[in-house]
Amino acid sequence: MAEARKSMIKFKPKKFKVGDTIKVDFIVIHPMDTGLKKDKKTGEIKPAHFIDTITFSLDGKPFTTMKVWETVSTNPYFSVNLKVLGKGKVTVEYSDNTGEKNSKSKKLKPKG
Amino acid sequence: MKRRIFLKSICTVSAIAVTAPSTLLAKEAMKGENALSYDAAVMAITSGKAVTASDKVKLVVPEIAENGAVVPVKVHVESPMTDTDYVKAIHVLSSKNGNARCADVMLTPLNGKGYFATRVKLGATQDVVALVEMSDGTFLRAAKSVKVTIGGCG
Repeated sequence: MAEARKSMIKFKPKKFKVGDTIKVDFIVIHPMDTGLKKDKKTGEIKPAHFIDTITFSLDGKPFTTMKVWETVSTNPYFSVNLKVLGKGKVTVEYSDNTGEKNSKSKKLKPKG
Repeated sequence: MKRRIFLKSICTVSAIAVTAPSTLLAKEAMKGENALSYDAAVMAITSGKAVTASDKVKLVVPEIAENGAVVPVKVHVESPMTDTDYVKAIHVLSSKNGNARCADVMLTPLNGKGYFATRVKLGATQDVVALVEMSDGTFLRAAKSVKVTIGGCG
């Protein structure tokens, strides 16, 4: 069973208005193992284990999709922009090469 | 005299013995199962279509990577991001990693800006490349060299 992963969505700037274009940062705790490194303790090769698909949605409608490889750093960071048209909910869904799926949401609350 | 020659030859031999396997490992170590080399990756993305170097694509990477395992990459593409004129995709690649592909980011006008940032692993000094597909089907490109002292892949 997939264990829940720690992840975070950040809007930059924190305070914004309707009509602004903000940054949406997403960071998640994930090993992003390439399948080429050995475990220092056991001497065994750690199998490839990396996030391969990410979808950013606003109120259920995707606005950015990503295909990602093991060449992205451990505990990956991704950043894109979003035009703020009103209140809503941003959801980031991601899956990895083992089939593990997770998601994180954050409410979009523009001031004025 | 003979002793000096003997000692010299031992030093040279052991130096070779130490470097050779690690260079081999460095080459082998970078290739995973679905690895595509840079040229193969570009072909997979563009299907052979022309790619133009463009200063509409601004690629921001460090000149020297303190840590090859975590190299920040930012791509800015000048674009109105309207329904008829927007950045369709930003592909981040590396020129010499065993797997040249890092990320394919499919954007939409709702992004508001043609922008993507992430952190990648670089196994050795090489170019980071941003391959950008515009909504009219054209491909733009920007590349920058990053010096890597401690390789990022193992």
